[in-house]
Amino acid sequence: MKTTLTLIWLVATLATHANDKYVETMKKHIEALYTDSTVEAYQSTINALERIASAEKDKWEPSYYMAFGYVMMANIDTDATRKDRYLDQATAAMEKAKALAPQESEVIVMEGFIYMIRLTIDPATRGAQYSGLAYQSFSKAVAVNPGNPRALAMLAQLQYGTAQFFGSPTTEACDTNRKALALFDADKPANPLSPVWGKSVAKAMSLQCEQ
Amino acid sequence: MKLSYLFFLVVITAPSLAQTQITGIVKDAAGAAIPGANVFLLDTYDGASTDAGGKFQFNTDEKGPHTLVAKFVGYEDYTLSVILEGKPIHLQIGLKETINELQAVTITAGTFTASDENRRTIFQAQDIATTAGATADIAGALNTLPGTQKVGESGRLFVRGGDGTETRTFIDGMMVLDAYGVSAPNTPSRGRFLPFMFKGTSFSTGGYSAEYGQALSSALVLDSRDQAEADRTDFALMSVGADVSHTHKWDQASMAAKVQYTNIRPYFNLINQEIDWITPPASVEGSAVFRHQLGASGMLKVFGNFNHANYSLYNHDIDDPSSRQAYDLTNDYLYLNSAYKTAVGENWIVRGGVSYSKIKDQVVDVTERVTTDEGIHAKAVLEGNLSSQVEVKTGVEWVGHVYGQSVPAFQLSRRFRDDLISGFAEGDIYFSNRFVARLGGRMEYSQLQQTVSLDPRFSLAYQAGKDGTLSLSYGKFRQSAQSQYLLLDTNLQSEKSDHYIVSYQFVRSRRTFRAEVYYKDYTQLVKYGMNPDAVTNDGDGHAKGFELFWRDNQTFRNTDFWVSYSYLDTERNYLDYPHAAIPTFASAHNFSVVYKYFFTRLRTQAGATWLYSSGRPYNDPNQTAFNGGRTPSYQDLSVNFAYLAKHNLIVYFSATNVLGRDNIFGYEYGDELNEQGMYNSRAIRQPAPRFLFIGIFLTLSKDKTVNQLPAL
Repeated sequence: MKTTLTLIWLVATLATHANDKYVETMKKHIEALYTDSTVEAYQSTINALERIASAEKDKWEPSYYMAFGYVMMANIDTDATRKDRYLDQATAAMEKAKALAPQESEVIVMEGFIYMIRLTIDPATRGAQYSGLAYQSFSKAVAVNPGNPRALAMLAQLQYGTAQFFGSPTTEACDTNRKALALFDADKPANPLSPVWGKSVAKAMSLQCEQ
Repeated sequence: MKLSYLFFLVVITAPSLAQTQITGIVKDAAGAAIPGANVFLLDTYDGASTDAGGKFQFNTDEKGPHTLVAKFVGYEDYTLSVILEGKPIHLQIGLKETINELQAVTITAGTFTASDENRRTIFQAQDIATTAGATADIAGALNTLPGTQKVGESGRLFVRGGDGTETRTFIDGMMVLDAYGVSAPNTPSRGRFLPFMFKGTSFSTGGYSAEYGQALSSALVLDSRDQAEADRTDFALMSVGADVSHTHKWDQASMAAKVQYTNIRPYFNLINQEIDWITPPASVEGSAVFRHQLGASGMLKVFGNFNHANYSLYNHDIDDPSSRQAYDLTNDYLYLNSAYKTAVGENWIVRGGVSYSKIKDQVVDVTERVTTDEGIHAKAVLEGNLSSQVEVKTGVEWVGHVYGQSVPAFQLSRRFRDDLISGFAEGDIYFSNRFVARLGGRMEYSQLQQTVSLDPRFSLAYQAGKDGTLSLSYGKFRQSAQSQYLLLDTNLQSEKSDHYIVSYQFVRSRRTFRAEVYYKDYTQLVKYGMNPDAVTNDGDGHAKGFELFWRDNQTFRNTDFWVSYSYLDTERNYLDYPHAAIPTFASAHNFSVVYKYFFTRLRTQAGATWLYSSGRPYNDPNQTAFNGGRTPSYQDLSVNFAYLAKHNLIVYFSATNVLGRDNIFGYEYGDELNEQGMYNSRAIRQPAPRFLFIGIFLTLSKDKTVNQLPAL
């Protein structure tokens, strides 16, 4: 009886230990992602996340953050061909996350984010095509989880850019952004691995809106 | 209790006793180090990234057999089975390049591709649509590319010494029997299909894939869009008519329908025309497309287009201008196309379709003549990867074609039917990302000709330097004789051409340079002597030349321009030619400059196109030399403006030939000698000095980013 109890306790500890290992390792690498600043550093963090994804086959977060890392890499690099290549990797990682969690609002936000960065590589030729796709993704992300501040913040970014391009007023974009900021303040995610990025972007836009 | 405690302690402390250290270096095939590669044990957390020197090191607590993986973007994953027993493992890992569709060299000989999906094409789909002078006509825009010949009175695509009938259009792989709308004699016709329908356009000036047949010179391959992005309603009000279209999108399907009415009369009433119209051209057109996703990877597209057009005019006799004959043309056109595509397994795609065309022309001048042309095309293709280095595609097709002419008043009629059964196979072998060879063949059986033919096609491409591609192509092509001649003698064999092409292309940061040299040999062209009913295949000809092309989307801000020059040296002995001569549609030098500028603050796109063609031959019966006359050169400066008045409202204006040059395409001659013993002549000119077009395009949609700009 006592051996059985000990064994059960042991297994339970090992299981939570394993989960702790997953959460602790992920937290470490997510922290790194938010502070990495070179392509090499991002690649190293992404590789670690890829290894975690290989071990934890039912978790969407590792693939999600890989996509985030590749999007950041595409942002820093200046060469158009390499940017597109990183975004291809980001898309592959995002698709994996989507397959594991098809109704996860954060993953759908990431899909839209990738479209937006694709657009910025060649706005003249890609504007029409990718702005429509990004708009669709962000709207869907808001519909799936209206409380997701990132979905609203990215939608506001897209609306602002579009309004600027067409020379129309930015009031709608600024309204969306204000709602996003309110959601950021209220955001207390239960999942320790939930993404927390985006507030700085919304804050920067609110300054623009005040002008 | 103590035992369990000890057991627990041992279990917790045990792992640190048997760590295995794994170290090594990762290099590519050339021996260069690969930094940033991911080396790890599959299904575990353990691994490391390689450093700047390609070296890595990590420890693992895992034991026993495991799989070690090394991967990096652009290379095939490297896997190795390892046994972890605490002894250090040192590895020398070599990564092999993957054949990456996005990086591998592509065969460029004789091909211009515009695509929204493939980022490495020189053009996007909208580049074709926004070219000035094209008035949203695909052929018009393609006429600014090297290898094409401007034949202003026709409007069709004449490629590298080939006649306008030698270019075939394919939509989603299915043949289109008649891709051009009806037009008055000596006035240009417009393509029936608008650029906005397509996400990809591949225009070849020679040497195209074994998948496409029945085209002696050129294949225009159009891929229709896959899915609508949002619900929308579009209105267009133009100086020549109006149209309304609606697109509805469901989760897995979408449907779009469009109704268009065109009437040139109000425009012709405002602007004087050379032609003596009775009723200027008017047409009603409807088209619809339905798309449905089937399963995870399947897509069904059904497209239909019908058009009813009519015009009538007076033809004036050359010798006696006051005498005139009424000419009335009514054209009914129906085109249905269904195409299906799905993935089979990971490596294969099956696609196929059926298309049906029915055209009826009713001409009334001296008598009434009715021509009907009906065709069915059915096709099935299997394509995919035999291995990571070999792609293959193979297919079978059947074309059933019925053509007839009748003169109802005399109860005369005749018709013929031809069935063509063909098969093709083609393989692309990637020796590396820098060298690819394509081998293919096409077999055709014609039931009318009772012959089986086999035409090989072969191309190579080699990446020269970082940004250059050298490409070679050889192929045999054939096309059934034109229907009006087959009607006279159904024993006529196919006309044939052999193409030899060498091409060099250089692309770096949105600048493209291309140079191409070619030779085409024509045999079995349709010929007749004094008796036009006695047709034979005794004609032949050749065409050779070179082309230069430069496109720059980078140097000047918000500016896109391209310059193209083609030199053509061609002769043919066909139809009623007494001997080999330069055909009347060919000019030796063709030059075009296309310029587009986007005024960001004014939200206006402005474009200009300048086309130059050296003089074309014409036959002057007053001279002894056949085709001895030369027209003056053709020059045309066209402009267009697209203004984004609001995010969903566009005002568009275009004008061709703003300089008002009197372009002459050739001369027609009377039948009788006049007082001076000469035949009277009349110049074949543009129907008007310029064509002006104004349109207002409005889009209603929930998606605020959507408008009709990509279509213009």
